Parts: sequence; structure tokens; C-alpha cells
Amino acid sequence: MSRFLKALAVLAPFLITANGATAQDADAGAKVFNKCKACHVVGEGAKHRVGPELNDLFGRTAGSAEGYKYSPAMTTAGEGGLVWNDESLHAYLVAPRSFVKGTKMAFAGLKKQEEIDNLLAFLKSYSSDAAAPQEEEAKPEEKSEAPAAAPEKKTEAEIPPPSAAPATAVATHGVFHLGRPATGDEIAAWDIDVRPDGQGLPDGRGTVAQGEVLYSDQCAACHGDFGEAIGRWPVLAGGLDTLTNDRPVKSIGSYWPYLSTVYDYIRRSMPFGDARSLSDDDVYALTAYVLYLNDIVTDEDFELSRDNFTAVDMPNKDGFIDDDRLSETHYADKAEPCMKDCRPGTAEITAHAAVLDVTPDGEDDGEGAPSIE
Amino acid sequence: MTKTSTRRGFMKGGLTAGAALATAGLVAPARAGGDPAITEIQDWNRYSGAGVDASPYGKPSDFEAHVMRRNVAWLTADPVSSVNFTPLHELDGIITPNGLCFERHHAGVAEVDPQQHRLMINGLVDTPLVFTMADLMRFPRENHIYFLECAANSGMEWRGAQLNGCQYTHGMVHCVMYTGVKLKHLLAEAGVKTAGKWVMPEGADASAMTRSIPLEKAMEDCLVAFKMNGEALRPEQGYPLRLVVPGWEGNMWVKWLRRLEVGDEPWHAREETSKYTDLLANGKARRFTWVMDVKSVITSPSPQMPITHGKGRTVLTGLAWSGAGKISRVDVSLDGGRNWVTARLDGPSLTKALHRFYHEFDWDGSELFLQSRAIDEAGFVQPTKQELRAVRGANSIYHNNGIQTWHVAKDGVVENVEIS
Ligand code: HEC
Ligand code: HEC
Repeated sequence: MSRFLKALAVLAPFLITANGATAQDADAGAKVFNKCKACHVVGEGAKHRVGPELNDLFGRTAGSAEGYKYSPAMTTAGEGGLVWNDESLHAYLVAPRSFVKGTKMAFAGLKKQEEIDNLLAFLKSYSSDAAAPQEEEAKPEEKSEAPAAAPEKKTEAEIPPPSAAPATAVATHGVFHLGRPATGDEIAAWDIDVRPDGQGLPDGRGTVAQGEVLYSDQCAACHGDFGEAIGRWPVLAGGLDTLTNDRPVKSIGSYWPYLSTVYDYIRRSMPFGDARSLSDDDVYALTAYVLYLNDIVTDEDFELSRDNFTAVDMPNKDGFIDDDRLSETHYADKAEPCMKDCRPGTAEITAHAAVLDVTPDGEDDGEGAPSIE
Repeated sequence: MTKTSTRRGFMKGGLTAGAALATAGLVAPARAGGDPAITEIQDWNRYSGAGVDASPYGKPSDFEAHVMRRNVAWLTADPVSSVNFTPLHELDGIITPNGLCFERHHAGVAEVDPQQHRLMINGLVDTPLVFTMADLMRFPRENHIYFLECAANSGMEWRGAQLNGCQYTHGMVHCVMYTGVKLKHLLAEAGVKTAGKWVMPEGADASAMTRSIPLEKAMEDCLVAFKMNGEALRPEQGYPLRLVVPGWEGNMWVKWLRRLEVGDEPWHAREETSKYTDLLANGKARRFTWVMDVKSVITSPSPQMPITHGKGRTVLTGLAWSGAGKISRVDVSLDGGRNWVTARLDGPSLTKALHRFYHEFDWDGSELFLQSRAIDEAGFVQPTKQELRAVRGANSIYHNNGIQTWHVAKDGVVENVEIS
């Protein structure tokens, strides 16, 4: 079975439940289609534009509209058996480029289940082969759910059941058919990681000046007004050109290779004790402000957004090398170690732990001792 | 029972007790009637003890109350993002009891309700999936004993001898039996796309820890574990679910595991850029230094385990481990690395697990410089600290597997030292 068919087989039961519970609204779907209009036309006389026309989409083999030049990926997917219907469209529209790897459709994906349902209802109205059987199947499902789903649970209707796939459904993905497909909303809720190439950056923007306000309210208490850190809380700024010093200061400015790490980390973990409380705009503003604290940007009006994010170069971006421990002689030679008379003379103590007396219960509070990371 | 709360107090207590024992050993035969431990009826010999349900879960003897994880308060700003250490000196065999496994959290211990816990797989997969704990229990399970070592274990010692006790110098390691599901089964369930080359585990705690793991490793031996030493993971070890990345640095073993994303490139998360990169003397830093190198430490005698019995028969014991596989040999030196003898490995020898070694000898009461040197099945030999510093400088923080020296004074007191 092609991976598309495998993926779809399991989406089916879940979608039925979701559709059954949510009224699809073709009119609302027309609005959602605004997001597609830049590239697609549907309706009488529709022509290919950037993307193929979408009349009679339901039941169409992927990559088969006459006169449109598809990417090899889409053509191959069609040849592999991918046909457009509720399930496959759902999967494609949530994440086009991961469902059809190599598709040239430059569209990030729709996150809301409801939007997709409505959009599909809208597109169905331009398809003569709209997948009727699924609606029939949906009914018994709906009925069997009805008594259990008490009215007060209405808001949960769109949320898939907490256990795996509905008991009546037999999933066919993978080997053991365990688990259930994640919804777009669920993935969006958790998948907030950002990569150096900008993948994962959300919409939004924030200026240095906005960041300064947030920072002094929510960050300075630990990280210091200038990112210099209070006590043993982490340093966020300074230390440029200290990496070869006896006591290097590894800060965002002096050490971190990528700005994406700053955004990603602040968004997922800070402020300490109240993670995930910042808006995406707040995080842009704070990231801009941290750049400012490190003199990487100098203009208070500087605004950071998805558009200029990857253009920011970090001072130590070339400071990292891959693991080459194996090239160190003591590893490389793997020599049979010496057993007798290996070192001249008798051992002399050159340093005591007691001299530094940083032993936990010592009187010394460890001031000046290296900190653990 | 020992009620001392400080190490010094404990050490003193230990020494006094030891001295008392030694005295008893010498004097007892001369005493009329013999050892009161024998000649007098003890309370426990006379009165019944507590009933079966006095401690439904069970805990160690009150006499062992000093055996506990300990932290070094000034190492970090806040105990919520901090570390404590396994009392290696008190343990034997290769298994670490669950309650003694060192802790390292970045946002405290998450109290996760297993009913509400989900594991998501997304990214470059055919079908992004969500599993409940109940779903995970339906996959084929495996049991494996692995050590987990924090890459910063012994990190304090780069600049020279610092902390007086193997609990502090080497206590960021533990070894338990994990029960879990091979990560490759979970990934296969979602179907990794051909472009997928990396896997990013993410924690459900307030630090939402992430790391990038090459797909090869993920498919090789990683486990998604829910049990340690037969019981549910302890909260501080990631209950209800953690990743097990055998032989690789502990930070990657993401606790409270809630998500696995497949991608075509690494993410360069904070814990693989700002942290867990090894700064070299030339100002460049190594990144993605995942494997934990061959290493060993003598756990007794050690600063917290002085020799209290005087001259004569002495048991030296310690632990050895390697991220490259099994330990094939451990040598010990009593004279600071001048001469070595091969120690006796005892107990199971399992890949990427702790190994226990012993060396029994007659102590003549002279000063000793104890060292141990492990060799793994790949042929890697544990280096000296000098060798490491010569190539890396003293600012690496991570991956210090240098040979540890304990100085045993004539009175049996043991100290962490550096020697010529
Ligand atoms: C930026 C332009 C763009 C946007 C916006 C866009 N698409 Fe596309 N779409 C394309 C392109 C280009 C293709 C052809 C993909 C290929 O050949 O790999 C395509 C292909 C498709 C296909 C496959 C059709 C077939 O015949 O195989 C569907 C279905 C589709 N798009 C639906 C949508 C929907 C619904 C939206 C709005 C939610 C949307 N697209 C938004 C450009 C776009
Ligand atoms: C209560 C003290 C506290 C507050 C307030 C706080 N942080 Fe932090 N911050 C920490 C701690 C502790 C860490 C290290 C956490 C760990 O152990 O992983 C940290 C780490 C960081 C780091 C990574 C530093 C490094 O070198 O790896 C950044 C960046 C950061 N914080 C930014 C912020 C921002 C921005 C705010 C305000 C929105 C903030 N923090 C508020 C305590 C705080």
C-alpha cells in the first residue's frame, strides 16, 4: 500500500467522527477559500493559475488535471494511487509539504479543523463526485455517540476522543495500528520549535522598545537590567571575545550561533516559572531586545519579524565544530596501556580539593567557583 | 542511627564509629563475657516488630537514612533548575535504587497525570500520530539496563580537584533497568518519510526540553520507557514517560516525553548550542558531542568512605562504564598511576551499563594514591585529566572522563587530589 493510502486509511474513521459532530458550512468555506484564491480558481470556466483549477476535485487523481504542469512529486503521488477525497484533502491541507513531499504548492497549511471542514464542503459543491458514502457512514457513528455526548460536552465535539481511535474504527496505519492521527490544531498547539533556517517562526513582530518594557517587567529581576545576571541566574549579554579567556563569558552575544535558538527558547521556557505566557509578538520584541542588549542591533526602533529574522547574523555563528574527539591522540591510538613503572618518581600532591574548599558543607559558599550548566 | 546532616558531621561520625568498631574488634575477646552485641539480648530479639502494613510501599532501614541524594546549593541559582547527586559511595552492584538516581531538572519536577499524558509524533511522517499511555502499553516491550550520565558529570573538576566525594565528582550517573518500547516501533507506526534524518524529543514540563537526535540512533537502540527497575518511572525521572538514549549524554534522555518530531535538519535547541557544547582552548566549541566516553571511579575508599578498619584486608570497589559498549577491563593503581593491576569485574557485564569492579588487597597503612582506568570493548582507554586538559583546555565543562585520584592518608582519611 502506498504511504498515502496508509495514511488515509487511518484518517478516515477519525474524520467521520469529526465531520459528524461539526456541521460543515459551505458558506463559511467560501471565506476560507480566500486563502487559496491567490493560486486557485474554482467554479464555471475556472482556469489553471499558479495552481490547477479545482472543479471536480473530489474523485480526481492527484496531479491529473489536463493542461497543468505539476511537480514530479504530485504526479508520482497520483500514480501511486492518491485520489482527492475528504481524507486525503484533509491531510494535504493541514501540511501540504509533509503530505506530498516535494509539492510545489507553497502554502503553509490550514490549522483549524473547522476551517478545513467548511472549505471541503465549499469545494464539494463544485464537484459532481462528492464522496457521499462517508456521510452515510457518519450517521450511525453520530447516533452511537449521541447518548454519551451530553449537551454540556458540546464544545468538546471537535476534540478527538482522548483514547485512541474510536473503538468501532480499525486503524490501518503503521504495523500495530496503534494511536490515532494528530489533528492540525493539536500539532499547532505543541509544534512551536523554530530552526535556524526560520522554519517554525510564527507570524508576528516586535521592536526593541517594546521588548525593553517586557524585559524590565518580566526578565530583569533574574537576568539583570543589562543581561549581566543577578547572582547565579544566567547571563544574557556581554562577554564578546572572551571565549579564549581563562574565564570565558558565554552569553547569547558572545556564544550562541543562531538567533532562532533565542526565539525558540524564550517562547518555550521563559519567563522562568511562567512558561508559555508570552505572545508570539512579545517573543519577537524580547528577542529584538536581547539583540540590543548584545549590541547586535543598535536602533531602538528596530523591529524583528519573520521577514527579517534569518537576516540577523550572530557574532559567534562560525564558532562551532562537529565532534572530533576521536582525533585526540589518547583515543586514536587505542594503545595497550602501561602497567609497570609508568611514570617517574613517586606521586606528589599538586592540588587538594580542600585547598579550594568548595566542598558542599564547607564554610566557603563557592563564590568564584565554576557553576554547573 | 546516624542523624548527622552534614558530610563533615557524617564523616566524623563514620570515623568515630569506625574507631569504636576497631577498638571493639581488638578489645572484645579480652572482655569478660564477650561482645554485648552477642551476650545481651537486643530489643529486636525480644519484642515483635511492626506489622506488615507499617510501610506499605517500603523504605530503607532508618540506619541508612544518611544514604541520600545531596546537592551543592551554590552551584545553581535555584533548586528548581538544579542538580543533585547519586551517593555512589554507599552503593554496590550495578543497579541504582530509584530513589537515589540523581536529579537534574530545568523547571522542577513536573507532576504529570498519566491519563492526560499524550505522546505525539509529527513532522516528516506519513501520519502524524497521538498515543495515550494505554496505547503505548500495547506495543512490544523490552527490558534493558543502561547507565545514564549527565555530560557535565565531573565538569567541576576540569580546573583541578574541587569537590570532596565521589558523590559530587561522579554522582551524575545512575543505572537502572528500563522497560519500554523501542522508539523505532513508534516511528514506524507514523511512517518516517525518506527526507527525515533527525528526531526531536520534547518534554511536557515547563522547560519543554528539546534535543536533536540523528535518526540512525533513534532507530538503533532508543527506548521510550515507562518503568525503571520494574516500577513506574519516578516523577523526577520523567513519569510517566521518558526517552532512553543508551550511551549518550543524559540531557538527551528527555523526561516527561510528550512529542517526537521528525525533521530533515537538527534544530540547534538551547541545550545543544548554549549548553552541551564543549568550549576548547582555541575558542571554538564542539557541538553534538553525544557519546559518553569510557570512564571509571573508585567509590570506596573515597572521601566519604574513608578506611576505618586500619591496616590489613581492604576491599577497593568502583564503577566503570562506556557509551561505546561493554567494559572489557579495569586497572587500578595504588601509587598514583606508576604501577597498575587489573581489577576483578563482577556482576553482569551489559552494553552501556555500569560495571562493578573490586580489588582486594592488604593495606600496610602507608599513604596511597588510588586511581582506576577503564578500557571498553572498542579499545578506548580512559585518559588522564592531564591528557584531556592538554588537548581541550579547562573550559569544556562537559565530557570530563579523566582518571580520578583519591589520596588515602595514613589515618585512612581520603581526599580528592591532583598529583604529579
Ligand atoms: C501560493 C500558491 C497556492 C496557494 C495559496 C494554494 N495552492 Fe494549492 N496548489 C498550488 C500549486 C502550485 C499546486 C500544484 C502542486 C504540485 O504540482 O505539486 C497546488 C495543488 C493543489 C491541489 C492538488 C490538485 C491536483 O489536481 O492534484 C489541491 C487540492 C490544492 N492545491 C488545494 C488548495 C487549497 C484548498 C488551498 C487553500 C487552502 C490552496 N491549494 C492554496 C498552489 C497554491
Ligand atoms: C525567576 C528568574 C527568571 C526570570 C524572571 C527569567 N528567567 Fe530566563 N532563565 C532563568 C533560569 C533559571 C534559566 C536557566 C534554566 C535552565 O536551567 O535550563 C534561564 C535561562 C534563560 C535563557 C537562556 C540562557 C542561556 O545562556 O542559556 C534566556 C535566553 C532567558 N532565560 C531569557 C529570559 C527572558 C527573555 C525572560 C523574561 C521574559 C526571562 N528569561 C525571565 C531564570 C529566569
